[in-house]
Amino acid sequence: MMPPSTARRLCFLSLLLLLLLLAAAASATADAAAAEEFTEELLLRPLPDRKALAHFHFRSSAPPASAAGRHHHLFPKAISQLVQKFHISELELSFTQGRWNYEQWGGYDPMSTNNAKPPGVELWAIFDLPLAEIDATWKNLTHTLSGLFCASINFLESSTAFSAPRWGFKLNEGNLRYGALPREAVCTENLTPWLKLLPCRDKAGIASLLYRPSVYKGYYHSQKLKLKSSQSLGIILDQTLTVVLQPNTVSGKQLHSTGGQLQPSWSMEHLFSKKLSGKCLVSKSSRVFVEIEKGIVDNVDKAGSDVSSNNDLFVLSTAPDRSLKELDNLEVQSSSLYEYDVNNYNSDKPLNVGITWKLPLIWSCTRAPYHASRFLMGSGNERGSIAMSFLSTGLDKQLVDSSNDCSIKAVVFQVVPWYVKVYYHSLEVFIDGNSKAISEVVDKIHVTPSEDKLLPGTMEMLLKFPCSMQLATLTLDFDKGFLHIDEYPPDANQGFDIPSALVSFPEFNSSRSYPEADPLFVSPLLENFKEDGVVKSYTEVLLVPLTTPDFSMPYNVITFTCTVLALYFGSLLNALRRRIGEEERGLKKAGILNKRGLIPLLIAKLRGQKVDPSESESTSPASLPRSKLLLKVVFVAVVAIVFHYLSNS
Amino acid sequence: IFYEFNYRHMANTLSLYRTVKRLGIPDERIILMLADDMACNPRNNYPAQVFNNENHQLNLYGDNVEVDYRGYEVTVENFLRVLTGRHESAVPRSKRLLSDEGSHILLYMTGHGGDEFLKFQDNEELQSHDLADAVKQMKEKHRFKELLIMVDTCQAATLFSQLQSPGVLAIGSSMKGENSYSHHLDSDIGVSVVDRFTFHTLAFFEKLNMYSNASLNSLFNSYDPSMLLSTAYYRMDLYKRALNEVPVTNFFGSVMKTIHTDSAYTGFLAAHDAELPLSVGNNILDHVMLQNEASARRSNIEEMNEAQLMSHGWTEVLLEQLEGKNSDVVVMYGLGTMGILLAISTWLSM
Repeated sequence: MMPPSTARRLCFLSLLLLLLLLAAAASATADAAAAEEFTEELLLRPLPDRKALAHFHFRSSAPPASAAGRHHHLFPKAISQLVQKFHISELELSFTQGRWNYEQWGGYDPMSTNNAKPPGVELWAIFDLPLAEIDATWKNLTHTLSGLFCASINFLESSTAFSAPRWGFKLNEGNLRYGALPREAVCTENLTPWLKLLPCRDKAGIASLLYRPSVYKGYYHSQKLKLKSSQSLGIILDQTLTVVLQPNTVSGKQLHSTGGQLQPSWSMEHLFSKKLSGKCLVSKSSRVFVEIEKGIVDNVDKAGSDVSSNNDLFVLSTAPDRSLKELDNLEVQSSSLYEYDVNNYNSDKPLNVGITWKLPLIWSCTRAPYHASRFLMGSGNERGSIAMSFLSTGLDKQLVDSSNDCSIKAVVFQVVPWYVKVYYHSLEVFIDGNSKAISEVVDKIHVTPSEDKLLPGTMEMLLKFPCSMQLATLTLDFDKGFLHIDEYPPDANQGFDIPSALVSFPEFNSSRSYPEADPLFVSPLLENFKEDGVVKSYTEVLLVPLTTPDFSMPYNVITFTCTVLALYFGSLLNALRRRIGEEERGLKKAGILNKRGLIPLLIAKLRGQKVDPSESESTSPASLPRSKLLLKVVFVAVVAIVFHYLSNS
Repeated sequence: IFYEFNYRHMANTLSLYRTVKRLGIPDERIILMLADDMACNPRNNYPAQVFNNENHQLNLYGDNVEVDYRGYEVTVENFLRVLTGRHESAVPRSKRLLSDEGSHILLYMTGHGGDEFLKFQDNEELQSHDLADAVKQMKEKHRFKELLIMVDTCQAATLFSQLQSPGVLAIGSSMKGENSYSHHLDSDIGVSVVDRFTFHTLAFFEKLNMYSNASLNSLFNSYDPSMLLSTAYYRMDLYKRALNEVPVTNFFGSVMKTIHTDSAYTGFLAAHDAELPLSVGNNILDHVMLQNEASARRSNIEEMNEAQLMSHGWTEVLLEQLEGKNSDVVVMYGLGTMGILLAISTWLSM
């Protein structure tokens, strides 16, 4: 029988051992949890102008290389090799066709700030390398990406195509490079390799909805690849595809009994001609969201009903598994999100989410404080001006108190190719029609002037607009440069593009937080929405017609020059070598020349032997050179004919 | 831009791309160069779709197309770099022709062409001398064992008239002085959708699958001049094998022969025996397909005609001479002959 103190000690020790074991087990599971993950999500949202937005979001994550080694089972090896070889810490590559309609589709929410991209290709990357090596690495990166995505991204390799902004685009220490190709076409061949990076490709899961003709028939489509790499977190790869489609419904323009026009009722089958028949089996979670924006929710509240999936204004075709409500700063409910878990659906019971409108409704999406747009001024092929206008959308009135010294900041980032030679000293600012001094409006400006054939001109500006302003315009003059004949593209007469400028509003934060009930099932899409991002908008691409040369001129010059040279040398040799009439003079001196020509001689010979013996003697030394000439001419003619026949056979 | 009129060239190339993929060649062995974006062109009423028949039954663009060179990258320089393999170090593998001395290569070109040239992007041209030179470099660098060149342009046969390298087989859709015609017009899209030569080539291949035994001879004999409205001319003087022995899948498909072994791999010796027959059947095939756009200017072609006629004959003779001998010696002989001729002519005129 043990004394009670030792028994207690034993108990204590065993408990300690148990705790240690548990801790070890916990840490072991924590290590095992650092595995590769893949999630897929789809967000559908009706837009005010009778269109529908579909946003596909795929996230693959790989643990740090030191833990996992070089073997991947979900994460695409091409991307991990890219990150390792080029020491990338952040990269974003987007292929876009169409313009994001900021007036109708919003400019304030995280969807438009993250996924409204400039047309063509936009690539930026932050490298984890010493500054001297970054340009060479950028060049190799552009070539590799061009091979990977079947696009001409390699055109960004030369220093005339990319720039290194310090704070206008993203705050960095000089290791960011930015390049854009506005005229790059986007088609199936860019989507094919993008989809091949997903573990299930487009064979299963949400990506199987991507019916190519539907995607490319849309008003806007943008496929984006964003990756973040760090030593601690590994690589996180986000692939998103944002499409704005016009649903092809039969009941397109239905008139409601009240006289208004119903919004089109659509479903996934109307958008993609397919239903979703199950998730990608290797994905950790697979979800479909339908987002009902604040504008609609306000209307539903006004109508007095509760914002559920079936209310007075609209009804969702399938009952959602969950519904999430966004809470903004004032704890007022804004947008609503209905979630469907694709796990519950399979090929026998496919998922076909749709919305049917019951009452006509007009709403609007929140816009950025200013609508930024850019256009060209001037005419002729010598000079012009770039003008950027900021039109107040009224948001600032709602969100900021309009006291006297309130101001709204805007950051402008613009890259202009070298052949559009901008004179930065000619910057003029007009606020509500009145010209203002630069120092009143421009807080900070950083310019990298362009160098002919070497560098584009980069401009980063921090502007402060008074809150009461309605319209501001900035103008910059430029001269049009000349390109070397080899530098012209085949369709030079179309014009040359100035890539989109980026306008961001640092005081306005675009994020949407949907509090989730389940802490384990974090949705990457909602995580992205919660991230603090500034409100951004891209301006239009400008098309500048430059003087084009007459491309047939090299051929013309060669022809003219050769003709002139031939005439010169021909006449020179003629003048130097030919002795005209010398033979005749010589023979005349000797007194034997008969002044009859060749033809009279021939005729005389034909008539018979009526020629004088003296004449015949005199003609013989003269006719000898002439007959030799005739022989030569005949010989050349025969040779020419033979060559002609040979070449034709 | 007016590239819409060249929809059929894109359809030609994509039809052949699809055939070749169907017969087994994977994307990493195909280099596809398309000079225009037809499928997603805003003027195309059927986005992401390219048809080669007005019944619109087959979408050539499909879901799985990979274009290696497109738009402004399709230049004569890039084409010749692909053939000869002389790229910058940064160029990725998918844009290189990774062939070796055992490869069978199919090179298909379509577009607007004329006597001894093929037009690229409306501002450049590939001449038959350039092509012959590139093929010669390829042969010297052991980049192919057999090469089949198919050209579907006007006066296509002139494009390979300068070839000299052994192991090259070439077929063109028309002879010198003839045009190649389009097959039919699609009234919905508004332009012609395929050329006659390619249409009949495809009609031949649609009947085949990967294991068919059809020979090149049957392919070449299937071209009927009355249907093509031009003479499909082929050149086999550089190709040593008889055409009726060569299956078309040597160039157009990738056939892997599986040979069953009765016993398991018992070690190195047995494995070595089993490998030999496999290597006979295993053909590493590479394909290069090219498509070019331009508007044909007839008068230009006529001028080209004239210019080429004069130089054609004696360059052939010269090249033959230069073939075997030391070129310096030949030049000396030439100069000597010229000097003698000059002396004779001056003496005669005195």
